[in-house]
Amino acid sequence: MSIEVKNLVKIYDDKRVIDNVSFNVENGETLAIVGFSGSGKSTILKMICGLTEKDGGEIITSKGDIAMVFQYSALFDSLNVADNISFALRERKELRNKYSEKELREIVSKKLELVGLKGIEYKFPSELSGGMQKRVSFARAIVTEPNTILYDEPTAGLDPISSTLIEDYIVRLKEETNAASIVVTHQMSTITRTANKVIMLYGGRIVFNGTPEEMLRQDNPYTKQFVTASLDGPMKMIA
Amino acid sequence: MGNLKIYLKQSATYKIYRTCVRNLVDFMDTLGSIIIYGFATLRYILTFRVHRKELIEQCARFGISSLPITLSIVSMTSIIVASQVAPEMVKQGGGNFVGLLITMLIVREVGAIMSGFAIISMIGSSLASELATMRVTEQIDAIQVLKVDPIRYLFVPRILSGLIMMPLVVVVASVIGVLAGAVTTDLTTDLGYRAYFDSVWFGIYMKDLTVCILKAVCFGGTIALISCSCGYTASGGAKGVGLATTKAVVWSIVAMVIWDMLFAIAFFF
Repeated sequence: MSIEVKNLVKIYDDKRVIDNVSFNVENGETLAIVGFSGSGKSTILKMICGLTEKDGGEIITSKGDIAMVFQYSALFDSLNVADNISFALRERKELRNKYSEKELREIVSKKLELVGLKGIEYKFPSELSGGMQKRVSFARAIVTEPNTILYDEPTAGLDPISSTLIEDYIVRLKEETNAASIVVTHQMSTITRTANKVIMLYGGRIVFNGTPEEMLRQDNPYTKQFVTASLDGPMKMIA
Repeated sequence: MGNLKIYLKQSATYKIYRTCVRNLVDFMDTLGSIIIYGFATLRYILTFRVHRKELIEQCARFGISSLPITLSIVSMTSIIVASQVAPEMVKQGGGNFVGLLITMLIVREVGAIMSGFAIISMIGSSLASELATMRVTEQIDAIQVLKVDPIRYLFVPRILSGLIMMPLVVVVASVIGVLAGAVTTDLTTDLGYRAYFDSVWFGIYMKDLTVCILKAVCFGGTIALISCSCGYTASGGAKGVGLATTKAVVWSIVAMVIWDMLFAIAFFF
């Protein structure tokens, strides 16, 4: 078991934005979390990686690192690509001084190769396109060989071709690392191409838990509304 | 009862009360985070857990990049004072004390406080906006997820550079200020450099120099700590960055003046 979430609760301003949410993700699996904007999907990721305190429930993760790919990449703009990727290896207490400069360079180029980028080690994030930044953030996330990878809207703001490329890398990273992955997304292509399991959130609760195929079958009124992008259905947008 | 509640909530008194409470909470929040991050940073400095490469970069930023503006402000203040005071003192027969007065003024007050204002405007605001931008673009979250200690990586080098570089900046600025006073005195009176510098030595006391250096250390550390803390705790988007920068500048100025007052009371009262 890599991640097990039991009865997770998060309260903001007396409102339960996450209300008794439970799921589990095994190694080598990818879970997609879908739902309206503001339904608490990213909050779940932040609680899993410890950026946000939970107000109830349990998060059990197996030993090892948790990596996160942020929505807007969150690359350090004062560092070049190589320093961004090797950041954890240089700065983390237990890894500091473990690798020589030569070893670090080799690790960086290997990780860059894995995400299809070569020869950009000395470029700064501002010199890269959105898709390239996202792939560099993938490389940075996997540099410590994590056994859990969290993706916060990895294809948001990208053109369809770049989105497909990013989805391919999510699948490839899962195969390479055998990590348990959670992808927060709105995009149907990301769900169908990367995930084994899907949960859908509405009003802080899980309203659908199944596979992407089951989601596309539209048996559930919530997934039906989501897949058909309809305004009519059980989910009401708050204007 | 319900209508009365709504009416009271819309009243000006309630709005003033709510604004006061919100400002008080914000004030305590800011003060609390400055104290917490201050102690956390101190723990790292005292145990020599310092990021050397970052420290060198921050020292260069704090000292060298701020020097032109600091020197300009202190020397211009010296020119303003000397051009008004020197001719008058020479006319009243106190020409032999012009150098003494200018030196005492710069060493005791102008050198440190004017350098402080320059550092706040140039370095403090840039530290706050840099960290606030890192916060709102999730770069600080990324540091935490990568299990790197943000206090060691962000706070320690910046605050330590403030503690180290500010005294150097103040000393250099004070020397330039005294020299600017000499040139101004020479141009506005017929006193001459020799008479000016003869009296300069009477204006420098060991106690004044010690207080000047101590004051600079406190100013530098405080400006860096407040700026980092305000930036680090920023929230929201571009507006949050702006608010954090403004807060850092205002708090730094107030803190610096409080330090200055405490030094004046402790050493010259």
